[in-house]
Parts: sequence; C-alpha cells; structure tokens
Amino acid sequence: MLVLTRKTDQSIMIGSDIEITILEVRGEQVRVGIRAPKDVSIHRKEVFDQIREANVTATEAQADSFPALEDLRD
Amino acid sequence: MTTVTMPKVNCKTTRFGAIDVAEDLIITLPEGIIGFEDCTRFVVLHVDDKSPFRWLQSLDDGAVAFPVIEPWNFKADYSPSISDSDAGRLGLTADSPKLVFAIVTVPRKNPRSMTANLLGPLVINPITRQGKQVIVTDEHYTTRHSIMEEINKKA
Repeated sequence: MLVLTRKTDQSIMIGSDIEITILEVRGEQVRVGIRAPKDVSIHRKEVFDQIREANVTATEAQADSFPALEDLRD
Repeated sequence: MTTVTMPKVNCKTTRFGAIDVAEDLIITLPEGIIGFEDCTRFVVLHVDDKSPFRWLQSLDDGAVAFPVIEPWNFKADYSPSISDSDAGRLGLTADSPKLVFAIVTVPRKNPRSMTANLLGPLVINPITRQGKQVIVTDEHYTTRHSIMEEINKKA
C-alpha cells in the first residue's frame, strides 16, 4: 500500500483521470472529494465488502436448495 | 435451403453436469460479479419452470453459480435507482426495459429464511445481453432482504 500524508485541500492523483482531495479534517472524520471518469465506480468499502460476502455465501448453495415461494407464506 | 445452426458453448458444471448453451443465450458481465471478477460469461438456467428461482451459471468456472430471482416475484415495488455511470455503461436509460436479478442466499439449515441482495442487484440490458452487478443509490436496501417477510406483507 502506498502511504502519503496530506493536509486539507491537498490532492492525490491516481493515473491521470482520478483525483482525490482532502476537503476537511474534523476530529476522527475526514471528508474526501473524488473526481473520476463516469465509468469508474466509487463506493464505501464496507458496502463493497458486504456485497462480496453475500455473493460468496450465495454460491455455496447446491441445486436442491429452494423451497417454493408458496412455502414461505405463513 | 440453408440450415443455420446456432453455435453452442459447452460447459462442465458441478451442479448440473455438462451443459450446451446457445451463444445467443449467453449473458456477459464484463466486470464479472463482485468477488468473482474473472467470471464474465453466464447463462440463466431454469431448473424448475414452476418456480421463479433460477440459477445464474458461470460458463468460465463450472463450480460457480448463483441462485437468483427477479425481485418483482416477491417485492412488486422494487425499483432500484441506478447511478448514471452504471446506466451509461449498460446503455440503459430510466425507461429502458431491463432485466433485474437479485442474488439469493439460501441458508442450508433453514432455507425458508432465504434472503435477496437488493443492494447489489444484477442489471442486464436485454437487447445487448450485457450486464453488471450495480450498487443501487438507495442506501436503505440491504444485501440480506428477507423474502419470507416480504411475501407475508402482501397477505
């Protein structure tokens, strides 16, 4: 991992198309601004990790797994 | 008279044995599925025509398949907001027809408590047959939306 130290209003370039700017540092929170081409998706890591985990768990199912939707009614 | 045979792709799957898939049925996810980025070609298998559940089978890795369901089957008002960049990538506008699948997690010990990932649905352009696992912009959706609870809301 590349580690850089920045102050408020300083930026980092990733490639020539992605710019990350430190907008504000307040206590434990850092506000980060990101400029990137429209085709680059940007998400909080926790969301990405949750989705990855759900995907991995989903593939553990075997072919005999599904109850009918009707069986889910009370 | 010329007979045209649709080229087929063969795949050895762990759940369903060897399958032959007509090329025009293949769905391509150029970015793969999150956590499975190398799996870009898929086919939707209907194992039971009476059931809305399907399997999204990877043609790149026969062991990889995801149980999926179109969310309208249990949640008619699911209309996820997709970011402009995702819509653009898929060649979709707000009004274009789209095929949406939610990946379903079926707990082996209690299948009735199965959940659907409504935060990260698979959105497919039905004309190009290209798709993507998108992260919807409405953050109140979760990766584990209880299907049983949703169905019993209607009743």
